[in-house]
Amino acid sequence: MRKTLSLVLPVLIPSWQFFKTIEPSPRVQWARIDGDAPRWQEFRPRPQRLSPAQMLRRLFYSAAWNEALFLVSCAERIEAEPTAHSITEIQRRILATLPHTPDATLQFRLIFIDHNGQDLLYRSAPFPAHPAP
Amino acid sequence: MSLETALRATEVLLALVFLQQSAEHIFHRRGEALLFAPRAALSLLLLSGIAPLPVLLALSAHSLLVLHRFSGPYNGGSDRMGLLTLYCLTLAQTLPPGSAREGAFGYLAVQVLLSYFISGQVKVINPDWRSGRALQDVFAFSAYPVSEDLRSLAARPRLLWLMSWSVMLFELAFPVALFHPTALIAALAVAALFHLANACLFGLNRFVWAWLAAYPSILWLQDRLLG
Repeated sequence: MRKTLSLVLPVLIPSWQFFKTIEPSPRVQWARIDGDAPRWQEFRPRPQRLSPAQMLRRLFYSAAWNEALFLVSCAERIEAEPTAHSITEIQRRILATLPHTPDATLQFRLIFIDHNGQDLLYRSAPFPAHPAP
Repeated sequence: MSLETALRATEVLLALVFLQQSAEHIFHRRGEALLFAPRAALSLLLLSGIAPLPVLLALSAHSLLVLHRFSGPYNGGSDRMGLLTLYCLTLAQTLPPGSAREGAFGYLAVQVLLSYFISGQVKVINPDWRSGRALQDVFAFSAYPVSEDLRSLAARPRLLWLMSWSVMLFELAFPVALFHPTALIAALAVAALFHLANACLFGLNRFVWAWLAAYPSILWLQDRLLG
C-alpha cells in the first residue's frame, strides 16, 4: 500500500521541473566477458542522421527510443541507489537485442558524460546470456 | 466549451494516447504485450463511449499494475500527464454534477497551466539557462538528441540563447493566456508546436499526445471563469 502511494502521489502532485539542471548523462554499455579485455559497446547507439520522414514516423511509433529513455531512467536510479529492478530491466533489454549465444557471459556498465568528460559510475556483476527460466 | 463536451473530448484523446503507448509496448516487446493488451482493449471501449465510468475505473486500476511493473512511470513526465488526466477524468465522472465534478476536472486544467509555468520558472532562475549554456549541454552530451548530427547545434551558442529565452518567456507567460479566448487558442497552438519540436529533436513523442489530451480541460476552465 505504501509503495502504491509512493508511485501514485508524484502523478497526482507533479513537480513539472523539466530540465531544471542538466546533470551528467548516462550511457549504457555492454560487453562479452570471455577472458580477453572486454570490448564495450554502447547499447542502442543513436543514428548519425534522421530524415524528416523518420522523425514524423517516430511521432506515432517510437518504441525503441522510448525504451532507451526508460533505460536512462533505470541508470539514474542505479546511480542514486542500485536496485534489483533497474539492474534486471537493463540486463533483460540487452539480452533481448542480442543474437542467441547460450554460453556467453555478459556485463554492462554505466558511463556518465558531462562537459568535462566521462566517469564510470557502475559496473554490473557478470550475467549469463540466456534469460533465467 | 461545456463541461460534458470537454469531458468527452478528453476521453477520446486519452483513449488515443493510451492506444499509441500500448502499441509501442505490444509490438516491441512480446513480454509486455500481456500487460498492455488490456489497456488497449479498454482504450477502444473508451473511444467508443460505451460505459465510460466502468472503463475509466478499470483503466485506473490497471494503471497501478503498470506503475508497479516499471517501478514508476515508464516514460517520465509524459506518462505522468497521461495518468493525471486519467485520474482527474475518472474522479470527475464519478462525482455528481456540480462543483465537486468541476473541481476534479479544473484540477487537471490548473496542472496543465503549472506544467508550463513551473518549467519556465525553474529555468529562468538558473544562470546556465539564462546564458544558453544549459541547452548547449542538452545538445552536447545529454541522452536526448535523436541523432548524432543534432549534436552540432551545441556549437551555435547564439541560436541556443535565443531558443532558451523563447522557451522560458513562453512558459512563464502561458498563464496570462487564460484571460482571453483568442490568446489561449494561440498559446495552445504554440505549445503544441513546442511539443512537436521536442518530439523531432529529442524523441519525446509521447509528450505531444499526453499534453494535447489535457487541453480540453483548460479550454473548459477558461469558459467557466470568463463566462
